Amino acid sequence: MRSLKQRLVPYWLLGPGLLWLLFFFVVPMYFMGELALYSGSKTTGGFEFTWAFENFPDALSGHEEQILRSFFYAGTATVLALLIGYPLAYAIAFRGGRFKVLLLFAVIAPFFTTYLIRTIAWKTILSDDSPIVSVLQTLSLTPGDGRVLATSGAVIAGLTYNFLPFMVLPLYANLERLDLRLVEAAKDLYSSSRTAFLKVTLPLTMPGIVAGVLLTFIPAFGDYINAELLGGTGQSMIGNVIQSLYLNQRDYPEAAALSFLMMALILAIVLVYIRFAGTEAFMGDEDDAEGAK
Amino acid sequence: MSAPARAWAWLRRNALPIYAGLAVAYMLIPIVVVAVFSFGETPKDKLTFALDNGFTWEYWRTMFDIPELNDALSTSLRLAAFSTLISTAIGTAMAIALVRHRFAGKRVANLLIVIPMATPEVVIGASLLSMFIYYTFALGFTTLLIAHVMFSISFVVVVVRSRLIGFDRNLEEAAADLGAGPFTTFRTITFPLLAPGIISAALLAFALSIDDFVISNFNSGTTVTFPLYVYGVSLRGIPVQVNALATLLFIVAVIAVALVLFQQRRAERMASVRPEAEADSPIPVPGTAAAQ
Amino acid sequence: MEESRRGRAWGRVTAALAVLALALGLTACGGGGGGGDNGGDVTTAEAGPVKGDLTISNWPGYIDPGKDGTVAEFEDETGVSVKYIEDVNDNNDFNGKLEPQLEQGESGGRSIFVVTDWMAKQMYDQGFLQEINPDDLPTVFENMVPGLKDPSFDPGRKFSIPWQSGMTGIWVDKSKAPEIKSVNDLFDPKYKGKVTMLEEMRDSVALVMKGEGVDPDEASDEDWEKAIDKIDAAADSGQIRSFTGNNYTEDLTAGNIVAAIGWSGDASIIENENAEWIMPAEGCVLWSDNMVIPVGAPNTAAALGWMEFVYEPEVATDLTEYITYISPVEGVKELVSPELAKDPLVFPTPEFQKECSTQVSPDDVAGISEAWADVLTG
Repeated sequence: MRSLKQRLVPYWLLGPGLLWLLFFFVVPMYFMGELALYSGSKTTGGFEFTWAFENFPDALSGHEEQILRSFFYAGTATVLALLIGYPLAYAIAFRGGRFKVLLLFAVIAPFFTTYLIRTIAWKTILSDDSPIVSVLQTLSLTPGDGRVLATSGAVIAGLTYNFLPFMVLPLYANLERLDLRLVEAAKDLYSSSRTAFLKVTLPLTMPGIVAGVLLTFIPAFGDYINAELLGGTGQSMIGNVIQSLYLNQRDYPEAAALSFLMMALILAIVLVYIRFAGTEAFMGDEDDAEGAK
Repeated sequence: MSAPARAWAWLRRNALPIYAGLAVAYMLIPIVVVAVFSFGETPKDKLTFALDNGFTWEYWRTMFDIPELNDALSTSLRLAAFSTLISTAIGTAMAIALVRHRFAGKRVANLLIVIPMATPEVVIGASLLSMFIYYTFALGFTTLLIAHVMFSISFVVVVVRSRLIGFDRNLEEAAADLGAGPFTTFRTITFPLLAPGIISAALLAFALSIDDFVISNFNSGTTVTFPLYVYGVSLRGIPVQVNALATLLFIVAVIAVALVLFQQRRAERMASVRPEAEADSPIPVPGTAAAQ
Repeated sequence: MEESRRGRAWGRVTAALAVLALALGLTACGGGGGGGDNGGDVTTAEAGPVKGDLTISNWPGYIDPGKDGTVAEFEDETGVSVKYIEDVNDNNDFNGKLEPQLEQGESGGRSIFVVTDWMAKQMYDQGFLQEINPDDLPTVFENMVPGLKDPSFDPGRKFSIPWQSGMTGIWVDKSKAPEIKSVNDLFDPKYKGKVTMLEEMRDSVALVMKGEGVDPDEASDEDWEKAIDKIDAAADSGQIRSFTGNNYTEDLTAGNIVAAIGWSGDASIIENENAEWIMPAEGCVLWSDNMVIPVGAPNTAAALGWMEFVYEPEVATDLTEYITYISPVEGVKELVSPELAKDPLVFPTPEFQKECSTQVSPDDVAGISEAWADVLTG
């Protein structure tokens, strides 16, 4: 029988963290929700709480274009990241050998240069006069106007680059645990490499894929730096709108309503996934030391 | 086998590593660009990404000559240091509780930790701003610190957890059998073995804080962090020193990670932690997942 | 440990209720809502001995830097220790960042901001600025160019002192698009994706209105809306590459664009010898950036001292030679180098500026600003 003191230990350990998250994550969400119900504007003398539920559909209706565009950009970037990242993670996990750590490090190396600086570097690499763009032009790989910057392509490329590590790392973690003997077994049973991959490897690594997809799509959806630096007039994402509403127009009610809606949308996706796989699967295999013994 | 056929076979066998090499090169392109252009002389000492004017060490020598840049950098470093300290302490404690103890509400705790990682930065930054506005709380270093700690906790927990899960309890039990009390066991066995995981988590928290732009942009008021400074000058001409500094930061980070790895290898040789269990983390940092 | 399903569900409900209760509780004991109001008393900036620390917020590239620069000179002469921050990139953004503090009567440590005319007026109306006593600034008022002494937005200069003036026109890359002469040329399909406009509504929209033959001074809200719609259509079609702050200079340097609505004094920032600022056929937009003293300024005496200092002709000359904008100080033309004295962008004649309009705001500022903001965010 554990003493009271012993039973309280986990609460002491968890306490500071949970309280911090409570006060500075959960509660602000509540405030954002409340702010969304205000009406008025800066120029007419201030805001007041008026249960202004119409802010929500209003915010939505003005900005469907950006919301859809954000889905499209983030979605494409995620798919690209998956296509690029899966083979990369696979290669590192099974063919990396001595260089595994080095390769992994190379994958997250971009994190060590400021986000802005590496995006600005891309802006230069992709500028209209650069050699790379000239090569792409001769290969006819550039969109209509012959430039890369200030197009959707540039924004998607930026998003893919910046969030690729978020895709590769979970994939790698999962792939690493893959027992190759299962694949061997499949091959011994006369399946081709392709079938072995589709029927054994892919399903077993699905949790890694889902984790990678979520960790890539969600931040990409809310990003606005790539759109701002690499995009032009037609590439604004919902993040740009929210940022403008908060910091530029200071239309807090609309900004809050829009943020809240976006948050709700994402939460819905996450909850569906958690229901499907359980939080433990998302966090990594929970073989509690306690539970297992 | 004929030469072309041999070449083709070699290509097929090594397609995957070649591809990986290309992908890794792709990851490193901007870093190389940043480094290379820190050495290019430019007319107004502003970044032009052109190499016409020749090579120079000038910007590396004068790296710390711009007051606003220094202020911003020191603010970022201080912020990151405090944020790392606090979030690592809090996060480690949480990880220990989650892995080692039974209690009610574990699901809720898990949820609360996971959701911030899945929230876009715009929303986190904006909601914090909403709260600070509501309380007419002055924006500045404190609000930045609060925000940074907040988003770092989740990542720390995840990293330390994964390290804890692969932990061989037998060692602790052996220590207990030899008469060591819980504190002594913690001090001499648990903590040293856990250290690489904690350090990895701390590095991650530090990197997250120093690199943060979006959340800081919303909650900094008039305080300028390094990323905010870069954003400001990017609109009007980036001093080349910024590139030099960025490259320097990168090099320092590389060295730090290398040290951690090295230290982890040593720790492992000293105690038999099961290597294969280290892979149990969704966001492995080189310190945890890759030690084979 | 097994929890019963029901127990778990109840646990969650309780947790959610607890959070809600907590939040409501915090609301009750918390602060007020958004729109603050300062109570209406406008203070006058206090004069005094010029010493101590001074923090100034200004636009980038608006001062001659370095050991021989104006800041260093001021520090040498007065012993004041100056912190000069170039963090004003856009009027709205800057105001937005500081507003929460200004509403509390705090200026974030700054004693001087430099903002454009209309923002100075807006800040004053919001109660964020202190008034200035002309008796404290003899040099300023003696040397100020007469045309700037009594503007419509601040008659008698009660709260703003001009820092520099400038003109908004069109920067053209002569090697790629020599035929561009008017803002209407920017809508020509052959330059699709190669032109940019300023984010500043009172520059871009006003210029487009002038291109349509409308005088911004007499423009109705519908005129503003029409111009905004025209720009919106061009943005949607990809004609306009992007809306910029100071960063159009980058695109010009990189060769990404052939023309940009931009400011007359930016020659020193643009690394493109083929780029030239032209006076549009329909005229330009005239504006000034002004020094203002915010509420809560920690050292108003030094702020006033700075203003006095930069209105001395020799100091003003040094500034003009570096930043090549239009000085508000009389007598500079005689002291600068001869080529600069002949530069119409730095010393424009009334003839040169005859079609130009001063920057104005629309009647329905809130509504038009919102419409414009929608265009900016696509």
